[in-house]
Amino acid sequence: MDLQYSEEDRAFRARARDWLAVNVPTKARPMHGAAAAQFDRDWQRKQYDHGWAGVAWPKAYGGLGLTGLQQVIWYEELARARAPHYINTSYIALMHAGPTLIARGTDEQKSFHLPKILSGESLWCQGFSEPNAGSDLASLKTRGVVDGDAIVVTGGKMWTTDAQYADYQELLIRTDPTSERHKGLTWLICDMKTPGIDIKPIRTMLMDEHVNMVFYDEVRIPLANVVGEVDKGWSTALSTLSFERGLGFIGDQLDLYERVCRAIDLAGKVRLDDGKLAIEDDGIAQKLASLKADALAIRAMTLSHITESDRTGEPGPQGSLMKLMVTGTHKALSETVGDMLGWDFLEFDGDRTAHPWTYDYLWSWVFSISGGTSEIQREITADRLLELPRAR
Amino acid sequence: MFLAPDGNETEIADAAAQFLSEAMPLARLHEAHSADMSTALRGRLGEMGWFGLALPESAGGSGLSAVEHALFFREAGRRCAPIDLLTQGLAAFVASGELRDSLLRGEQGVALVAKDSARVRLLGSADARFALEVDVSGARLFDIEVFAAQARPSLDPATSMRIADIATALPLAQSEGPEKWRLGQLGIAAMLVGIAETALDLIVEYAKVRETFGRKIGSYQAVRHPCADMALRVEAARCQLWFAAAAIKEAREDAHVHLDAAKHLANQAAVANSDTNIQLHGGIGVTDEHHAHLLLKHGLLLSKLFGSKRALLARLLDARVND
Repeated sequence: MDLQYSEEDRAFRARARDWLAVNVPTKARPMHGAAAAQFDRDWQRKQYDHGWAGVAWPKAYGGLGLTGLQQVIWYEELARARAPHYINTSYIALMHAGPTLIARGTDEQKSFHLPKILSGESLWCQGFSEPNAGSDLASLKTRGVVDGDAIVVTGGKMWTTDAQYADYQELLIRTDPTSERHKGLTWLICDMKTPGIDIKPIRTMLMDEHVNMVFYDEVRIPLANVVGEVDKGWSTALSTLSFERGLGFIGDQLDLYERVCRAIDLAGKVRLDDGKLAIEDDGIAQKLASLKADALAIRAMTLSHITESDRTGEPGPQGSLMKLMVTGTHKALSETVGDMLGWDFLEFDGDRTAHPWTYDYLWSWVFSISGGTSEIQREITADRLLELPRAR
Repeated sequence: MFLAPDGNETEIADAAAQFLSEAMPLARLHEAHSADMSTALRGRLGEMGWFGLALPESAGGSGLSAVEHALFFREAGRRCAPIDLLTQGLAAFVASGELRDSLLRGEQGVALVAKDSARVRLLGSADARFALEVDVSGARLFDIEVFAAQARPSLDPATSMRIADIATALPLAQSEGPEKWRLGQLGIAAMLVGIAETALDLIVEYAKVRETFGRKIGSYQAVRHPCADMALRVEAARCQLWFAAAAIKEAREDAHVHLDAAKHLANQAAVANSDTNIQLHGGIGVTDEHHAHLLLKHGLLLSKLFGSKRALLARLLDARVND
């Protein structure tokens, strides 16, 4: 057990810090729309051009081939430099599609897509959930029929973040109409410009339209775009989800400590209804201090998991606990700040910059529902970590 | 950077687990007069050198680090080991010469002094000859006779309790500096993590065999989800304990902040997990013959030592870590 960074780790951190100090975008990221997507592409392109894209991706696929711990260092330095938030329109490409293609893609798929993902040239979105297949993903019904050298897709997907701006989609469909559950599914690369795709934004409680319904009307997708095998897409999908549970929320994990400290600073400035400073209220002060301990534990959990998986070569079963801890702490922090901000907390027009704490509060449900709800994370923990008798 | 037990550390933890499960199994607490540590057991522990685990070799100890100290006391906590185990080792940091050697050999017991408003509580060995008071600035070893102590009934079957006025006499020995407090706080936090882990182990084991409505209770989400929450509390407290132990070992300037966080998380994990363990067991969970209440009662007592909730949170509010 030790907390010492190696010579390489320290040198990497120093280089990252120096580069970020002068290269982090100075103008703010546009909040929504095509301008935001273009901003994300440009920022990713800049990282790529200067050799910072894909820190933990293998060198053979254009990455830096570094360790999980060095990936953590990179995210820590991004947070320190106040770089644009890592969950943006590049997220699915970099955190889902890229790692899935590296693990399961053909040579042609890798050589075509991976450089475009790293350079920000292509943005991706996810097509897994459906109106009747969310937590129960394996009940999905969007169907695909093999017709010559293509699969013809008909159906609908739900909760697809940034579908409007994506170039490609990781699309999970049912190709064997007689199959049930996990069998008979196929994982496809879908070009979002293919005729027959219709995107309908869903307005959320955050007053934005970041998620969409995507409809497919006999959309022809080449068989060459199958990742893994036809009818065996479930195992490819599990790879995709394991990446999300491994490092997917790392930016939020490392950022929480700073956000708790900012909330404590704020508590020393804002006054409650009765005129006393929020920090002088025992209830608020105790909650904030307790959240600081939680944020420190989140960092310790991250370092423990990453350094262990760097040795074993695969993420451990603790990913679900990590997500529960991060989403729970995020929400508790928003609630506590809401408590001390009083009426100001109830002002909101959808502007994240003007009302950051209210936005974070509303976002806490997105966080605890997307990428596997908290209830599903508890189920996974009960099954895989505690090995309790199956509920299903 | 590696934040989990490794190599020699694991070997020492395994050796401790093997010895403690034979020498002080949880089941001992169902017998009469099982509180604290018997003279014979104290002698055996001394003979094996466990009291000097983290004491420098130059002072007659094993010279191991805060990491091994934490691993040992986590195993002790899993079995609701008496706090005498920790107090005895801390007292050896304060004493010198023949007194230190006899404490290391376990020849005389040491009780722990805990502040209680204008009075003190003495915890542990009813036959103790000494009492140890530890705070952040240092530690003081007293002849127990200077406290006119009266026995009080203890909720925790693992620990006997007395009440006394604050000593006005001079200590027999004293030692400045925070390391006694830090090892004490780390040891208690580790024991609390052990309690939280045992509570989880007990309910997971039971949920795999107990049936209601024709199904194993571990297949009901009303049981599975609280168990997952218990696993989360264990994981958070355990990882922060590793961080704090390594931070002390490496003499980081912010070690005390990580330690306060570790103690706070361990307090929460031990009490909440032993609470949930009783509840999910149902009726059998409140019986005297079950282990479940032992974990709760010992956890409550330990959560007051070396940083209770209010004191820890007051310190954490303004504390900053270095990176």
